[in-house]
Parts: sequence; C-alpha cells; structure tokens
Amino acid sequence: MRSVRVRSEEPELRLKSLRSLGDPWLFFALISILGASLANLFGVSASMGGGLLLRQALFSAVGMLLFLAASLLRPEVWRRMAPSLYGLGLLSLVAVLFLGSVRSGTRGWFAFGPLTIQPAEFARLTTLLILAAFLHRVEDVRLRGRDFLMLLLLVGIPMALILLQPDFGVALTFAPLLIGALWLGGLPRRVWVALVVIALLGAGVTWLRVLKPYQKERVLTVLDPDRDPFGAGYQGRQSRIAVGSGGLMGQGLGQGSQSVLRFLPAQHTDFAFAAWAEATGFAGAGLLLAAYGLLFWRIGLMAWRAEDRFGVMLPLLTLGWVAFQFLINVGMILGWLPTTGITLPLFSYGGSSLVTSCATLGMVNALWRSRMDFS
Amino acid sequence: MRIGADLDSLRERGLWILVAVFVVVLLLGLRLGQLQVVESRHWSNLALNNRLRKIPLPALRGRIFDRNGQIFAENRPSFQLLVFPDEIRDTGRSLAFLSDLGIQDIAELRKDLRIRGPGAMAPLVAAETLSSEQVARIEAHQRSFPELSIVNRFMRFYPFGPLTAHLIGYLRHPRIEEVQADPDLEPSRLLGATGIEKLANATLTGVDGRRWVVASAVGRQLGVLREEQPRAGEDLSISLDLRIQEAAAEALKEHSGAIVAIDVHSGAIRALYSSPSYDPNVFSGALSPRQWAELSQDPRHPLQNRCTQGGYPPGSTIKPFLALAALEEGLVTPSWSVYCNGSTTLYGHVFRCWRRGGHGRVSMRRALESSCDVYFYLLGQKLGIEKMAGWLGFFGFGKAPGLGLGSEHPGLVGTPEWSRMVRKSPWYPGESVSVSIGQGPVLTNALQLARAFAILANGGVLIQPHLIEGGRDEAPEVLPLDPAHLKIVRDGLEAVVDGLHGTAHALQGLPVAGKTGTAQVVSLPKEGQELSAEQQHHAWFAGWIPRDRPEVAVAVLVEHGGGGGSVAAPAARVVFRRILSIIDEDRP
Repeated sequence: MRSVRVRSEEPELRLKSLRSLGDPWLFFALISILGASLANLFGVSASMGGGLLLRQALFSAVGMLLFLAASLLRPEVWRRMAPSLYGLGLLSLVAVLFLGSVRSGTRGWFAFGPLTIQPAEFARLTTLLILAAFLHRVEDVRLRGRDFLMLLLLVGIPMALILLQPDFGVALTFAPLLIGALWLGGLPRRVWVALVVIALLGAGVTWLRVLKPYQKERVLTVLDPDRDPFGAGYQGRQSRIAVGSGGLMGQGLGQGSQSVLRFLPAQHTDFAFAAWAEATGFAGAGLLLAAYGLLFWRIGLMAWRAEDRFGVMLPLLTLGWVAFQFLINVGMILGWLPTTGITLPLFSYGGSSLVTSCATLGMVNALWRSRMDFS
Repeated sequence: MRIGADLDSLRERGLWILVAVFVVVLLLGLRLGQLQVVESRHWSNLALNNRLRKIPLPALRGRIFDRNGQIFAENRPSFQLLVFPDEIRDTGRSLAFLSDLGIQDIAELRKDLRIRGPGAMAPLVAAETLSSEQVARIEAHQRSFPELSIVNRFMRFYPFGPLTAHLIGYLRHPRIEEVQADPDLEPSRLLGATGIEKLANATLTGVDGRRWVVASAVGRQLGVLREEQPRAGEDLSISLDLRIQEAAAEALKEHSGAIVAIDVHSGAIRALYSSPSYDPNVFSGALSPRQWAELSQDPRHPLQNRCTQGGYPPGSTIKPFLALAALEEGLVTPSWSVYCNGSTTLYGHVFRCWRRGGHGRVSMRRALESSCDVYFYLLGQKLGIEKMAGWLGFFGFGKAPGLGLGSEHPGLVGTPEWSRMVRKSPWYPGESVSVSIGQGPVLTNALQLARAFAILANGGVLIQPHLIEGGRDEAPEVLPLDPAHLKIVRDGLEAVVDGLHGTAHALQGLPVAGKTGTAQVVSLPKEGQELSAEQQHHAWFAGWIPRDRPEVAVAVLVEHGGGGGSVAAPAARVVFRRILSIIDEDRP
C-alpha cells in the first residue's frame, strides 16, 4: 500500500501506481456521480436539447483534471496559499458586481463568449480553505471571542458580496461553512444556545418583513402540499410526481413523461435528481444516494485519519457544505423542504459549480496522499 | 506535528457531523422508497393526468347579412402570438426581438412576465393580430425563441365598422360568474355583448368541439387522442338594407342624431343608424383600458344607440296623432278652425305659437301644414290629457317597441296619474297644454316615432318592429280608424312638404308625407338671444314614402340640430331619395 515514497521533486514517478493518486473509493464515488450526471443529461436532452450534455462532459473532464491537479499539491501548500486564494476570491466577487453579466436579475456571472463563470463558486472554495487554514492555527479547545469574530468576518464578507448580486440561494450555501467552522472551532454551548435563539428571532423577522409573498407560499406548500397545486406548489408537486412515477425500475432515460413533456421544471439544474429518479426509478436513485453516501463516508474517514488540525478541518468543512446542499436539494425534490434555487453538487448541470466541487474534493484527496507519504 | 488532546476532541465533533449526515442520507433514502415504491401507483396516475388535456375547439360563429346578402359580420383568420413564459431563455433578448418586430405594449408584456414568473404554464397573449410579415419573421427565428407560438384563429370582423356598430353590436368574453354557473361554457368562448350579436346569440353560436390531446407542460400539443368536431353557428339575415343605412349615415354626417327606416307593412327595420358611432372591430382584439376609457367617457357618447336608447321630446311630430285623436273622438270637425295671433292665454299663462306673428285663421289641414301651435293648444284643451295620453299610447308612445336590441327607452307620456305615482308632484294644467305640442313630460325616440308614422301610413296596423324575420305568427292588431279622418291628416302631412305654408320645403319634389318637429330643450329665448350648442333645439322629421302607396316610414332626429324644417328635413331628403331609387330599382 505504501509503495511510493518518492518526494515531490520527482512527480512523474508518482503516477506509476494508480493508488498513489489518492483514495480509490473517493475517486469511485466521484466518477459514479459524474457518470450518472452525464447519463441524466443524455436523457434530459430529449426535451432540453443535446448541447447541455456536450458541455457538461467537457466540464466533467476539466473537473477531473482539476481534481487530479489539486491532489498533486501537498496540503501545506494549500494551507499557505489560502490567504492569497481567499483574497483572489473576494476580488472576483467585487469584480463581478461591476463587470458581470445579468442572468434572471442576478449580476453574478463573467461571460466569455459562450462560457460563463460564476465567481461565487470559486469564492466558496477559497472561503472553505481559509477557514480550515485559520482554524489550523487556533489551537484552543474553546473558541475565543476574537477568533469567533474572525470566522464571522471570513464567511460574512463573501456572503455579503453575493447578497449584493443579489443571489440569495448561493449565499445560503456559505452558511454550512460558518456553522461547520464554529462547531469544529469549539464554540461554547451557551453561545450556541444564544445563536439558536437569535436565529429563531431572525427567522421570525424574516418571515414578517423580508420574505416576499411568493416565498412564504413556497414554505406553506411544504406544510400543506395541495395548498396551491398550480401556483407556489406547482414545482414541488411536479417534482414528486416525477419521482413517484419512476417506480422501482424507472421509465428509462429520456422516456419519463414528466421530463420529456417538461412538466418538471429546471430538470437539468435544480430538479436534476427528480429527472434521474423518474428515469431510473428507486434502483437508480437509490444507487445515486449510495454514491453520495460513499462520498460522505470517505471524506469523513479522511478527517478521522488526519494528523493535524488542517487535515481534520478541510474534509469536514467540505462534507458540511456538500451534505448541506445535498439535503436542501434532495429534500426539496422529495417534498420535505421548500423550493429554493440550490443545486445538487456534482450532479446538477453547471460548469463553475462542477469544476470547483472537483477541485475541493481534490484538496481533500491531497490529504490522503500526504498521509501515505509521511507514514 | 500537532497531535494531542485537542485533535481528539476535534475528531469527536467531526464524528457528530458524520452521524448527522448519515441520518439525513438514510431518511432521504426512506422517503425515496416511500415515493417510488409505496406510493408509486398514485404518482403514476397523476403523471398520466398531467399529460391529457381537453382543448375546446371553438365553433365558427354564424355570419350576419343584410336582406341583400351584404356581409355585416364575418370571421377572419388571424394570427395570434402567444408567449410561453416558462420557455423563455433570455427575457431581455426576447422582448428586444418582439419590440423590433413592432409588437406594441412591450412594457405591459414585461410587467405581465414579471408577475407570472418562472414556472407559469399558461401562455400570455403578446399580440392579437400579426401581419404576414411578422409571422414570417417569427417563424424564421422560431429556433432562437421557442417560447413564441403563433396560433391560427378566427376574429370577428365587421366590414362596415361604425356604419352598423349599434345595430350589429360586438362580442365579449363571459364573466367569471357565468363560467362558474355553466360548466359547458368555455372561458374562451365569445358571447354577443350588444346588438344583433346579443339578440341572436343562440342562433349565431354553434356547438364547440372538444379535442383530447397529449400536451406538454407548456401547452404544446403533441398528439390527438380523440376529437369531437365543432358545429358552426347559423348564418343570419336581417331585414336591414345597407343602401338605406349608408344614406342615413350620409344624411347625419358629423351631427349627433338618429335615423330609423321601417317597412310600413311588415315592421321590418330597413335602417337604424345612430351618430356618432364607433368601430366595433376594436372589441375583437384586445381592447386596452385606454381605448375603453376613450370610448366610454367620450362626451358625445358614441356607444349609446340614440335610435332606441334615447328619450327626446317629440315636438310638433306629435301633432298628427293628436289631430287624428280629436277627429276620432268627434271633438272637432275637419273644418273647425281657430284664429292664431301668435299666442293664446290658458290658465292665466300666455302660450306662444312658434311663429310670433301668428298664422291667422287655421283649420286642421293648415294647422298641420304650418305646424300652428295655437291650434293644437286649443285642440289639446278639447281632448284633455287623459284622451291625449290614451291615443298616443295606441300609436306606441310611452312603450318600448321591443326590437330586442336591449336597453330600449320606453319614452314617456305624462298623465296626472303618472305625475302622482312616479314624479311625486302635482300635475299642472299647463303641462297638458305643453303635451299637445309635444313638449313637457312627453318623450320619444326615432324608432318609436318611425313606427308611429308607419301606423299612420298603413292605416292603423300596429306593426311590430323587427330585424329578424320569422317567429311572428299572429297578425298584428289594427286600430279601427275612420279612413276619412286618416285622409285629412295625411293631406295635412303632404302639405307640410308641398303646401305654400309647409314647414318641410326641403323635401319638395319627393312623394313624401310627414311632419317636422323642433323640440325645445330650454324655454324659448327672448328675441335676439343666442342659444348655446347644448341648448339648441332637437330637430325632427318623420314621414313616409311614397305618399299614395306607402312603403317605408322614416324618422330623423338631429340632436341639438336646430329647426326641424331647416336641419332634419334636408337630412331626411337624402334618405328618402335613396329609398325612392331603391323602390324604382326593385320594381320589376
């Protein structure tokens, strides 16, 4: 197992053994999810056109390259690069506010011809990295007030910049990073209690003052699914119909009536999992869930076996983020959570998200390789 | 290398995260099983229901012709542009394309799109009628704008527009309550809102067909499962004669007013024109609130059908009926005469004749010819208000003629009883004097007056005015009038046109008998005082043609036009001349 003991001065030798590339199970889970995503887009192309598949295949290839590239760098290098990468991330978020193009009311994309890049995805990666790097230096068991404020700032600044676009959904995906960092950093229990109380109050104020009527309707339809089947409840209802009519074995890729006839909204992005469930049934959807389970397990294992704080922080923050989006997205599709614009990482169509997710997993994978090196 | 107690506590916290994540994955897995295994049948049925859709196939509405086959209402194919909000890729680009295409109301569309938001399935109507050039351009760019869909449909079209607007009417969408009350009524079905379209709605409306299709979420039809063909509505001929209708419009020109022509034997309406008019075709498309406000708030009230919905004092046109009443009642003889010196005093009031200098001694024939007011003041005295009202009632005054066009004004013949019951004020004897020259509490309109003159012309047959043939089996009642009395009145009405003292010399040379009327809106001004436009008298002429073998009776009202002889009679001349030429043409 520990066959390669060559240091980084001779990287070509590292490629000699496949296992030297990192955790094979993590790689397997990643490849499975990406493969399922492409198969799903192949099915969806019956109603959405074939261009999506080609593009996503291209993104997947780039993602895999980035995954491998990120794996090759040593974790210490990542840790030391964290502040400059974080700065770059913030810079891109500021730049997009001035230079970005607008898509459905949100100024969040750099457009280079047919290619659009969403800097918020990149910024999430760099934020995750800086949090891990910062917590690496904080060695106390309990989080001190100064460090607490620092964590708030590190997550709050990119979140605020994204809210300026304004993209509420993407900003929300930064929340698990903060919660994870506070949890791992060792925030005292009484502060947690205080935070929960504040969060509840905040939720109350948000409900009364911030949420628009259509957003409230989306929440209410979760509690009462048949409340407004052709209005706020439409997407959730169509999504449940798609999943449920998939049955045990599914209707086949590109055969599901909900997808082909376009009753299912955003079937390549937000509701991609529903299209997959309709096409491949409980068998396919269950396998996809299992693939995510495997991914989560391997990431968790990475943290468990890590030998420094950075090595624990990085995988667990990654896990927190991916699992959060997984829960919000699949929970929405299965009718347990309100409809939000949050996609399923690695599975939903979208280049920026896919590429940065792969890169993040690559950093986690780098930990695995470094552990092999040192022992 | 930092390995110590803090790393262990860190691992412990990490374990909690891992446990939480796996609980979530497990729960979601169970939920997946619930939907896909346990409830699968339920959701599959819903998926099936999603796809099947009932599409109404609107029946073609029947056309409306005049008696000579001229088309008054037809259906024209038109192209409607629908936008399916859910398929829009780039709102800005789509709206720019539509704007470039010349689609109006882009701002309105943008607002509608924002309200609908993503996920809205029902399409928006972006344009009601596309030109063929617009259709070609949209089809050329269809691949870039999949949200645009061109729909073939039929739009109601009224070729003569304003000329027949009040008569033919227009269509409307059903109200929400109507749709709720009748499950078979499709919200997209059009119903007659006014005029013949409303009166004959049942005939004109066919039976809608139905088509069950497999449809996509955005309403695209993918395949037909079953179809019931629609049954078109019946075509309808109405009694109108376009040529007379056109003459009526020519006669009134820009004046506000009304002209009705009626067949004296059958009661068939030959012309019914109200001015000012409007273009009913604006109701076929999407009528903007601005357009509606312009129409409904126009101070000249173009939407009102003055022929049937107005109530105007008849003025002197009422005189022949009172003359005939007095003869029939035996209260005067044809030779009974009065001396008119320009006024008479009754109940302590001075009642003036329209001619300040007076008419001298006048008999009935001369009184009709020169429209002497003093003669009729005294004749009215002899009749009394009850008899006047009774006889006016025989000729249809004070009762809606029942043409069926809706909101008919019944007119009014005031009596002491009416005054007590309705007006809640006492009846003054002077009012009876006013009624005897068609002023005061007495109102009529062109339809009523045309019918009344038709009854004079046909010898007392109480014809029923109508636009649609058929459905009247029983012969109309006949007033038992003494032909000798009729002849005296008719002679007087001929003299109105031809006599030396006649008030309608504008009609000389035409075989017309009739009566002018100048109905006061306010009391007569003092000498030399000018009347403002809305205080001007209403000008009337009513009569029939030809004199000896009457065929068509006509009533002309020029609202605030001035004198009946100077304004209404020349307008009537245009109509009578056209009728005369038609009678000559149609004679074999």
